[in-house]
Amino acid sequence: MRLKLLFSSLLLSLLSQCACAEPVVVVNARNGVSQLSQDEVINIFLGRYRRFPGGAAAIPIDQPENNPLRAEFYRKLVNKDLNQINAYWSRLIFSGKTSPPKQAANSAAAIQLMLSNPGGISYLERDQVDSRFRIVMEFQP
Amino acid sequence: MKPRDHNPIGLLGMNGLLLRSTLVVIFVSLLASLVAVFYTAHVTHQRAYEHSQRRLNELLNTVESTLQVACFAKDQTLAGELAQGLLNNSDLLAVTITSENQILADKHRQAADAANNGPPALALNRLIYSPFDNQKQVGHIVLKPDLRVIEVRIQDEVRFAAIQLSWQLAMVVFAVAAVMLLFIVRPIKAMSDRLHSMDPTTGDRLPIPRRHSRSEIGQLVNDINALADRLVNTLAAEHHLRLAREIDERKYHAIFDNAESGIFILDDTGSLLSWNAAFGRLFEISETGPENEFAWIKISLMAWDNPDQIASLSQSALRQTGSVNDDLLIYLANGKRRWVNIALSPVGENLLQGIVHDVTPHKDAEASARQLVVTDPLTGLANRLGLEACLRSQIQEYALTQSGDFTLLLLNLDEFRSVNEGMGLPAGDSILQTTANRLLSCIKNGDSIARLSADSFGIILKQMTLTDVVEKICNRILEAVRLTHFVDGSPINLHASIGITRFPLDAGDVPNLLRQAELALDNAKASGGNTHVFFDPVLAETAEHQRQLQNDLRAAIQNHELVMFYQPIIDLRTQRLTGAEALLRWWHPTRGMVMPDSFIPMAEKSGLIIDIGLFALDAACRQLRDWQDQGLDYTLSLNVSGRQIPDGLSPAKLHEVITHYGISTSRLALEITEGVMLQDIQKSLHWLNEVHAMGLRIYLDDFGTGFSSLSYLKQFPIDTLKVDKSFVQDMQPDNNEHTLVGAIIAMGRSLGLQIVAEGVELPSHLAALSEMGCHFAQGYYFSRPVPAEEFPATADEIAVLLTKTAARGLQ
Repeated sequence: MRLKLLFSSLLLSLLSQCACAEPVVVVNARNGVSQLSQDEVINIFLGRYRRFPGGAAAIPIDQPENNPLRAEFYRKLVNKDLNQINAYWSRLIFSGKTSPPKQAANSAAAIQLMLSNPGGISYLERDQVDSRFRIVMEFQP
Repeated sequence: MKPRDHNPIGLLGMNGLLLRSTLVVIFVSLLASLVAVFYTAHVTHQRAYEHSQRRLNELLNTVESTLQVACFAKDQTLAGELAQGLLNNSDLLAVTITSENQILADKHRQAADAANNGPPALALNRLIYSPFDNQKQVGHIVLKPDLRVIEVRIQDEVRFAAIQLSWQLAMVVFAVAAVMLLFIVRPIKAMSDRLHSMDPTTGDRLPIPRRHSRSEIGQLVNDINALADRLVNTLAAEHHLRLAREIDERKYHAIFDNAESGIFILDDTGSLLSWNAAFGRLFEISETGPENEFAWIKISLMAWDNPDQIASLSQSALRQTGSVNDDLLIYLANGKRRWVNIALSPVGENLLQGIVHDVTPHKDAEASARQLVVTDPLTGLANRLGLEACLRSQIQEYALTQSGDFTLLLLNLDEFRSVNEGMGLPAGDSILQTTANRLLSCIKNGDSIARLSADSFGIILKQMTLTDVVEKICNRILEAVRLTHFVDGSPINLHASIGITRFPLDAGDVPNLLRQAELALDNAKASGGNTHVFFDPVLAETAEHQRQLQNDLRAAIQNHELVMFYQPIIDLRTQRLTGAEALLRWWHPTRGMVMPDSFIPMAEKSGLIIDIGLFALDAACRQLRDWQDQGLDYTLSLNVSGRQIPDGLSPAKLHEVITHYGISTSRLALEITEGVMLQDIQKSLHWLNEVHAMGLRIYLDDFGTGFSSLSYLKQFPIDTLKVDKSFVQDMQPDNNEHTLVGAIIAMGRSLGLQIVAEGVELPSHLAALSEMGCHFAQGYYFSRPVPAEEFPATADEIAVLLTKTAARGLQ
């Protein structure tokens, strides 16, 4: 049973790897920020410090749970899977001091949220990026 | 053996093995447990801290991920919750969580106070890293432990360990004590008690404790028993030895005390350390030895005749290993003298053991024996040994002092033997005693006289060699000897001869002195006696000559140098040659012809006369045989010396030779002298009778010169007398000799004897003898003695002579 599970998950990861699109961190094109370091992206997305270097508030937006891009993004950003990210947030949630990023219902909703919030920051597949967005960080291959 | 006093040790007594060993075990255990407790406390302490640290670390580990999240997100609420949770651990006193510069939480236990601030080193400080990047520090946490709580726990642990240890130790001590009691102390105690009351001499031995036959205790018991055996054996041996030694000592002491010999111990200074009763009696001092060491007596201070002797004796005993002894003379308190023989032998440690015997009786006996040896019992004078000893001591003295010359006289009584035989031995002894006294009166005090043999004396004139003085003394002596002796009223006159030799003039030693004196004496005798003769080297030469001659004579018999000569004898009645006297001649290879007078006395003295006599007999018989073969009836007379009678010329030998030549015994006559009669008369008489019975005729030679005892003529079987030529030669008409010869002839004829006159040299002799009725005559008138081969010629000449004489007589 467990072997089967392991096998299917391996297969799954292989498929997703194959189908993987490369996530890039983007902000609203109207936002003045042009470049962010990976640490700055981590601080924003994991609730430590949610401001852009210019001091403007940053509003991180997560892709829906089922979007493979989300898992790929966190893996590349802090080398954690989504379960771990969820466990992290579960420890912080109850103190109420900070909160996880806003979660879009689907990919289009995520883009919508980005466009509606000048301080919005999210991650997209490279081919999804258009003039409305600006890429502020790319993961090293 | 008495059992030793002993105080049995109680099993738990103060000195008991068990108590002692238990105390030692406890002490050592306590020491060990103290060390152990301290060590355990130390280790436990250490461990407790380490444990505490580890727990805090583990505690931190369990909350670390949450801490990381809290610090990363700088979530004070989360941090406060965490700190509060940690403080639930009783070990913790305070928790401080810091994120970068901001303190997220700082919580303290309420009960804590300032005093409980432990050293910062004990605080646990850990850095907190980001949950997404473990390189990146996002804060740190400091945990302060509650030291008091930890201490209390450590103390609990240490106490527990100590109690545990004490328990175990107590068990061990108990076990050790029990084991020792059971396996060591009890058997030893039993052995000890048994040993106390054990008497090994009665055969008592230790039993081996049960189950210990192979253990060290069993071994010990065996060893003790073996030791007891050895001890008992040794004691027994020692006892026997001591007993034997005691017996020995008692024995030796008894010997020492009861010995007849004096026994003493002398040290090297000459002090008498101890002595026995016999010694005390011998020297008339205390019989129990010295009272104390101040009463030691110096042996050399005793009244020795010569104290040097005892000193040198003890010195030589100390130098040697063997014993030395000597006879010493000591004077006792009452003036008695005592000879003692002291034998000293070293006994080690410079001590001498001495044994003393009283040898006074021996010494006295010895002295008198010595006196006897050198004394002549008849006269009381010294004997030959005494004289020789005296001579030796004189010579010795001269060698030491180079003074003390002396003269030795040898005196011999002339013809004493005839006196002795004629008058009897007692008469002779009496004369010798008188002579000894007379001699003593002739010499001065200090001179010595000895009687050397029957009739000879030796006289030493000390400090005197002057010829005229010696001569004077000799004359005095000769004069004294000549004095008439009276034996049983009969007067006897004697004289003596003296030979004189002088020391050191003539000889330097005793044998030479005696020989020289004898030579001189012989010379004095030879010159007729009653005189003295000084030794002269010529005498020695003469003696040497005699000795040489004697050797030559011995050779002469073998070399046929002796020849027989024959002097004719004429029968005066028939005027015919009737026979001859056989006379010996010696043709000496260098000296020429030697006459019998020169060698017969020597031959008699040396005994050679026997061989010569046999030779003469043989020659005479052979000659008679020759004559017989030629038809001649001559007789032959042969001279026989006294020395040949009776054994030198035995009747058997005569018979043998005569028979051998087959001659008539009547043709052989034996001529003897009166000297023959002076020997053992019985033997001589027996011989004469036997020979006469064989038919041989006996002539008495030299008649008239000796004693001419008429009794002999009757007593002995004499056929013929031969008148000595000295009478016949001197015979002149009407002189004494003429008368004497006439008387002898007349006497002989009257006794029925025939008479031969010797030494007829003149026709007048012949005429006178014929007139006197003499039967036979011999002498130069007729012929000298001639060798056998000349005899026939001589016979012819005599026949012619007789014819002439007869013619003259007829005229």
